[in-house]
Amino acid sequence: MIKGSVILLSCLLGAAICAYGADPVANEQQPHHEQTNVILISLQCLRADHLGVYGYKRDTSRNIDSLAKKSVLFENAISQANLTPVAQMSVLTSQYPRVNGMVSFEVTKDAVTSRTLPEILKYYGYTTAATLSSPEFFMRFDAESGTMINPGDVFSRSFDYYGRTARGPQGGSIRTVPTDAFQWLKNNKDKKFFLWIGSGLIHMPYAAAVPAPYKTMYDLPGYTPFWKNLPGNTGASDLSDDPSYDIFSRVYHNDYYWGFKPVYHLTDDDVSYVKGRYDAGVYYTDLFVGELIKLLDSLQLTEKTLIVLQSMHGDDLGEQGLFFHYDVTEPVIKNALMIRFPNGESGGKRVTQQVQGLDVMPTVLNYLDIPVPHDAQGSSLLPLVRGEAGASGSEYVFIDRLPWWEYTLSKWYLELQNANGGQFAPAEDAKLKEYQLLLQNSFDKLGYPPGDISVRSNDWKLILRKNRDLLEKVSWWRFITDKVQPVEEMELYNLKNDPGEMKNLVSERPEIVNRMKSKLLEWDASTEKQKAVYKKYDKRYIIPYP
Amino acid sequence: MSHNENQNEFDCKLINRREFIKKTAVGAGLVAATMAMPGFMLGKAEAIDLSQIPMKYKDYNVIFVSFDALQAAHVGSLGYARDVTPTIDAIAKEGFSFANTISTASWTVPASMTWFTGVYPSEHRLTNKFAVFNPPNNVLSNLKKLSPDLMTLAEVLKNNGYATGGFTGNAGVNGFFGYDQGFDTYFYEKGKFGSMGVSIPKAQEWLKDNGKKKFFMFLHGYDIHGQGIPEGGFDYRFVDKGYDKRYTGSKEEQEALREEGLEKGETTLREEDIRFWRAIYDEKIQRTDALFKKFLVDFEKTGLMDKTLFVLTSDHGTEFHEHKRFDHGFSLYDELIHVPLVIKLPGQKAGRVINDQVSSIDVMPTILDLLDVQMPEKAKNQIRGASLTPALKGSKVAKDVFFETDYRLYTFKRGIQTVDGWKLIYTMENKGRELYNVKKDPGEKVNLAEKEPRKAYELEQRLFAHFKSIGHDLTARRWETGLNPVYDSQAKPAVKK
Repeated sequence: MIKGSVILLSCLLGAAICAYGADPVANEQQPHHEQTNVILISLQCLRADHLGVYGYKRDTSRNIDSLAKKSVLFENAISQANLTPVAQMSVLTSQYPRVNGMVSFEVTKDAVTSRTLPEILKYYGYTTAATLSSPEFFMRFDAESGTMINPGDVFSRSFDYYGRTARGPQGGSIRTVPTDAFQWLKNNKDKKFFLWIGSGLIHMPYAAAVPAPYKTMYDLPGYTPFWKNLPGNTGASDLSDDPSYDIFSRVYHNDYYWGFKPVYHLTDDDVSYVKGRYDAGVYYTDLFVGELIKLLDSLQLTEKTLIVLQSMHGDDLGEQGLFFHYDVTEPVIKNALMIRFPNGESGGKRVTQQVQGLDVMPTVLNYLDIPVPHDAQGSSLLPLVRGEAGASGSEYVFIDRLPWWEYTLSKWYLELQNANGGQFAPAEDAKLKEYQLLLQNSFDKLGYPPGDISVRSNDWKLILRKNRDLLEKVSWWRFITDKVQPVEEMELYNLKNDPGEMKNLVSERPEIVNRMKSKLLEWDASTEKQKAVYKKYDKRYIIPYP
Repeated sequence: MSHNENQNEFDCKLINRREFIKKTAVGAGLVAATMAMPGFMLGKAEAIDLSQIPMKYKDYNVIFVSFDALQAAHVGSLGYARDVTPTIDAIAKEGFSFANTISTASWTVPASMTWFTGVYPSEHRLTNKFAVFNPPNNVLSNLKKLSPDLMTLAEVLKNNGYATGGFTGNAGVNGFFGYDQGFDTYFYEKGKFGSMGVSIPKAQEWLKDNGKKKFFMFLHGYDIHGQGIPEGGFDYRFVDKGYDKRYTGSKEEQEALREEGLEKGETTLREEDIRFWRAIYDEKIQRTDALFKKFLVDFEKTGLMDKTLFVLTSDHGTEFHEHKRFDHGFSLYDELIHVPLVIKLPGQKAGRVINDQVSSIDVMPTILDLLDVQMPEKAKNQIRGASLTPALKGSKVAKDVFFETDYRLYTFKRGIQTVDGWKLIYTMENKGRELYNVKKDPGEKVNLAEKEPRKAYELEQRLFAHFKSIGHDLTARRWETGLNPVYDSQAKPAVKK
């Protein structure tokens, strides 16, 4: 006559809850967190489709491919956002950006109060360390004083060791590979640890920190980067060969704009050069992963370590005449994700169902027999890995394109550009102030940044731009082209027939639009309800983009 | 002011209430009632084989009594040193005394409905006085409107041919809330925090006719509650001789202290004031116990004693500055949710103390189980708790318990207490966490949430999983405090606005 006990009911909610449930005797096996290390390898801007194991033709990733053979590989892993701090905080908290509060490149010291993966692992006796070369995780710019500071904020919280790469004596990019991970591992091999290795090497400027001979390994013989010969680029000899943001932020639909004019149209060779330098970054990163795996083997850690390798987000490499990661296109949000279990469980398995960044933390905790926090918004992937009945991944994944890049420009980027001597044509210079003013007036100075939202299924993607008019008005592309660039309020793509997202099917497939849109708005409303309070008066620091 | 010299001496020895509770773990028989009780002291309590006691009482009567606001620690059979509950103690000695019963809530409206529905307050949804408080368009909370699918204990019994009568002190258990659902007769004096001095005679009148049938009676009064004042005023029987009379024990003072605590987070009571208020409380308890004794003496004369099952309990306790505040509802500390629970089977002469931790949510399934009634499918599916009859036979029934309060929208708290003595109170509006090891720190003074992060984390997950499992995903809504008055004195200024 009585319903099952509360504990039994709880068990139905998730196996993790039972791991420490009413009857510890029933759990004969030692919980995995007693003896399992965790290494999370997070690679910035890594496109899944530029790895051999995901079908890339170029031989960029021997080591990652061989790790993949011993791992479970997720073929459709989607990130929650297109920008590093936003997407990665969703991985570390298993919460959507608006829920954990990491919604822009501005951070207050305590912007994110949600629990992070290292925080929970520390409860269970883990020594936690991070070795990072993505400045997004450790560099903060104080716009008021114009200086870089180290506020010790949301990303570094809960780490016993927080290693960051620095510029060498000769300058050079901070975005190297975080090799201090090796020394840390040697020193701490006997501890139970969580190590987060975050590499920003692949990020633009492509291959800037890749040494010879790898840097030029995919260059076309005799090719000269197109920007070196372009008008206006006085002092062109100083210009680096590295494809940089400053160059590619002027490329719209494969036209290079200078002084509001398309002064150059990119050729196949140009695109192929950029891809080559990008791939050199992937290759060099792969060597680093290879060294890491070798070290783990030699320290006899491999069999007691759970290894998760993920890309934080990808990059556009000219697919629609765009570069970088402005938007939620497939190359940007479709990630590499593989999990190597200590006992090699399900090694070589490929999971086709759609999964998401939010799922990483619940999966790790679930494997370790640690309860998943109640406010986690992702799901453990173990049922999928183990092929349990009913395990289907995420039928819908929701993505926040948050914040708009224009919002970021309004905050600091243009200012910094000016301070650095500016790289603007005289005609642009004249209008720049006006544009900056427009940006500043368009966004609530201390409010929530605007964004776009998107929902993705295995077959379809819908993007909804709720503030279409404003976006069109403030668009960076509008500024550099001096022309209104129409923004669609909604875009619907069939990912199976049109993976390049070239044909917007909004008017042709109203039934799909209706279904996807209602899912998206439902998610949006529930996310708004759980939105982190964005405190207006806390001092904010900016995550720069060096 | 009259004094009891012995009692004053006793005051010096008043030990921490938790130590009383700890003593109960040894055995409740120690502080046994000595007074002769009709029907309850027919002979020396003998050690009997409990496994031989029948556990099915088909068509027997039930008298279910709620001594509103009676803190477990002030009950003699649970270890209190002052002899203020001789009648309750006598029944506890002959029946089963559950020494560790935790209520699902810390105030009347949500806590009492759990007995009658077998579900948590979040589920029956009688969590505040008003379902909508938007003066002048207020909507009073009502079980039928908020939870139309729930069956009440009285309804199940009525379906099984029972005469059902409720005789109450109104207020938190008044009929407008739907507390009358399933009762043939339900007495509550509108506008009152009524006394058993009024509800008992009404019950007795009803028994004249209905005592001939099989019956279920709910008897309740606010005599012990802060808003209850004994007939003829206090005689101050337990108050310190030299007390400077800063307080007189009035309900206005009670109310002012409650509001001061809510507003400032603490009251400005001195040690002697706290002793005074406990003395006042004890006088109320003793006088209520005497009223109940009178009821029993009369009931004995009906000859129904051996045909009647008794359940004595309380909906919640009360605070005397243990956590710097006064009254109840606003927190989930032990002084507010630890309640007495006594079950005496018909004709039972000897019982035992059961130290297993149980919940007030188990009361309904226990009564129905003992009465061996036909359970409608709906009621079967609804009930969350578990029958405690295995405990009566000596089996272990200890379990983790859950509790909650949304008191006046002043706060939203949810809590869990485990069998092994860990307790987590989670405050929804600020995500505040309090972790106590009640075995080592029965006063709940040292918050271990930071020191024992893993324990706090795991209990937090248990707590949220529990509420999710009963259909309340606590993460799915915003928790914003507001105004939802309970007492008329609070509602009036709000209405004027």
